[in-house]
Amino acid sequence: MVLILGALGAGKKAYARSLGYTDEQMSASIDSDAPVLLNLEEAVRTDPKETEAAFDRICKKELVLCREIGSGVIPLDPTERDWRERTGRLCARLAKEAAAVVRVIAGIPVAIKGELPCR
Amino acid sequence: MMILVTGGAASGKSELAESLCRGDGAKFYIAAMRPFGEEAKARIERHHALRAGKGFTTVERYTDLAGLRLDARGTAILECVANLAANEMFDEDGAVSDPAARVLDGVATLAAQCERLIVVTDEIGADGVRYDAATEAYIAALGRINAALAASADTVIEVVAGIPIGIKGELPV
Repeated sequence: MVLILGALGAGKKAYARSLGYTDEQMSASIDSDAPVLLNLEEAVRTDPKETEAAFDRICKKELVLCREIGSGVIPLDPTERDWRERTGRLCARLAKEAAAVVRVIAGIPVAIKGELPCR
Repeated sequence: MMILVTGGAASGKSELAESLCRGDGAKFYIAAMRPFGEEAKARIERHHALRAGKGFTTVERYTDLAGLRLDARGTAILECVANLAANEMFDEDGAVSDPAARVLDGVATLAAQCERLIVVTDEIGADGVRYDAATEAYIAALGRINAALAASADTVIEVVAGIPIGIKGELPV
């Protein structure tokens, strides 16, 4: 599994496409058969506990895309704070299991763990 | 030497900071977060658990870091600058409009008392949300403080999903 992180609109999905994955092979649902999991942060937001419990299944994906959401002011709303916290911790857990971690910055993939996967 | 550790929320900064405290010398943990509310207490508990059994002396210091004197020379973690700056800026007792000078003086005074100082800060300026004037001033002040700390640090590390990324200097072993 390769974990792909980056800000909203940074180019995570475009990078996944550059690796040869089609849009049909991408899904935001953990239980889908698609090899690419999109928007992990949305799954955490919708159902944090269920998403955390699905850790092993998430690790079986080929690519996991997650938006980085932790680099802002601490939100006043406790639900928003919890979302940030859980998304950050889950990404750190996934990064430990990942063969590679890629951070996409302004469309540029940067390997921060392992080798940059390429097509 | 001084190591600056930065990163977003829940990125693994504390774990990394503690992993940089090796050796048998004195170890201090300087806590700047006030234990207000259940969430802050839970966070502090989590930090306590991470350090448990590792020989740290915890020093609670919420403002006026420059006035702190450690009783031994060793390794210290300061966690975190975002709390310290907010305390200096917003505290009822002695709020200042620009906390940068107080925080930077404090870190310099502390660094002079340590063999190795690990300073933990936060990245808070990248969410694109409009805030009130006081919060915007705080974001800008922390950004300037981080830049000044990075200029004087030997090593700057950004933590992303638990992975340390060297921004300046060598990653310590």
